[in-house]
Amino acid sequence: MRARRDPLGSGLESGALDLVCAAASLKTGALLDQNLPERARERLEGLAATLPDLFGTLDPTCLDRIAERLGGEPGDTTFREILLLSDKSLHVIQPLTGQPGVALVAECPATSSIGLVLSAIRARVMDMEGG
Amino acid sequence: MSVERESSRVLPSIPVGPGLIASVLRLLAFIDDLPAGATGVLKFGEDGLILLESRKICWAVARSMRLRLTDILRNQSTPPLPREAVEEIYRRCKVDGKPIGEALVMSGLVTEAGLRVALFKHNGEAIAHLAGSGLSPDAFVSHTRTGYDPKFSFSPCEVLAMLGSLDDPARALAAQIELGNALVPDSFGAAFVRSDTTSGALVIAVDRACDLPVSDLVEVCNWTAGLFDVAHTFDREAALARATWGGHLALVTWRAKDVAFVGLCASRAAAARLVSRLESTAKSSGVIATAARYGGPA
Repeated sequence: MRARRDPLGSGLESGALDLVCAAASLKTGALLDQNLPERARERLEGLAATLPDLFGTLDPTCLDRIAERLGGEPGDTTFREILLLSDKSLHVIQPLTGQPGVALVAECPATSSIGLVLSAIRARVMDMEGG
Repeated sequence: MSVERESSRVLPSIPVGPGLIASVLRLLAFIDDLPAGATGVLKFGEDGLILLESRKICWAVARSMRLRLTDILRNQSTPPLPREAVEEIYRRCKVDGKPIGEALVMSGLVTEAGLRVALFKHNGEAIAHLAGSGLSPDAFVSHTRTGYDPKFSFSPCEVLAMLGSLDDPARALAAQIELGNALVPDSFGAAFVRSDTTSGALVIAVDRACDLPVSDLVEVCNWTAGLFDVAHTFDREAALARATWGGHLALVTWRAKDVAFVGLCASRAAAARLVSRLESTAKSSGVIATAARYGGPA
């Protein structure tokens, strides 16, 4: 099954998940994969373009204070994962810890299993970071 | 208990205006900036004061306000409480140096819930008057006296939401109910809207566990509003989001018509339970259909 062999290779990949993903710049919102198939690019461009508005726009000291009130440890003020859900789609943004300024953006139909999608994305991130 | 429903009836002298919320935010920020255990009096010269216990608002008064607590308490009942009975207790409290509200509860004239509502309105009105007049505190005098019942004290966030709710009390009440139904243990949250009365998010409801600095609460609400704004550029149906940080902390946000909600969760499990609860709501209301698929922890 292709999804198992390479669940999140760039572009339209997993038949089981109908999931597309690509690396994108947190700073510019540009997709970084030059060889991304056009259909995948169309599905991901909008999500990628939002990255500069989502990351670095919330005051880190604010997140620190909220962490403190929640009983968490201050100091880690970067969102590790953002999920957006709609009737049509599930969108995921996962910054790469090994590549600062880069995130994996992914999109799949709303009918997909979210647990499977997140597992696949995390596996892909580990691959990308050489984990 | 319906704080918002009552507030529209018994807060006739709040100086509502476009700048009120901004002024209130500035004033409440003074309280947030005090040390966590701050207990004492925040003084506004001859114009008023705010009594604090562990940085929570126990009592506030402004010279310009028209209603007294006893008026609010009397008018909360139908028919109104007999003036003589209330004033007799007031006189005794003045002699004994005891808080009148708690004495009224002891007397059976007022319920605890009724007292809380009345104090909330009284303190909210006082803070609105102090803020509206552009005053800043000129001193904070610490003291070690404690004894205010925590049930009758209010976080700055609660006061902010109460004043924000005046814009549309019915909408705020609905938001408060939605928040109460959705939030789970290890989470707290707020509801907000966009309004002409403020440049950013207008907080209209919070749950009682929400004791963030008001500037942080507004910052998070503004970020959340921006999240949906940008999400709608590529997916107009986006109505639910979750962002995780700090290992196990999470922010869950959802929208219902023009009201947005934020739930801040102390664990991934709490975030999962919150979204799972939204699933049930979505099934009955159809507002957040996508939540129905998101039942388990990530």
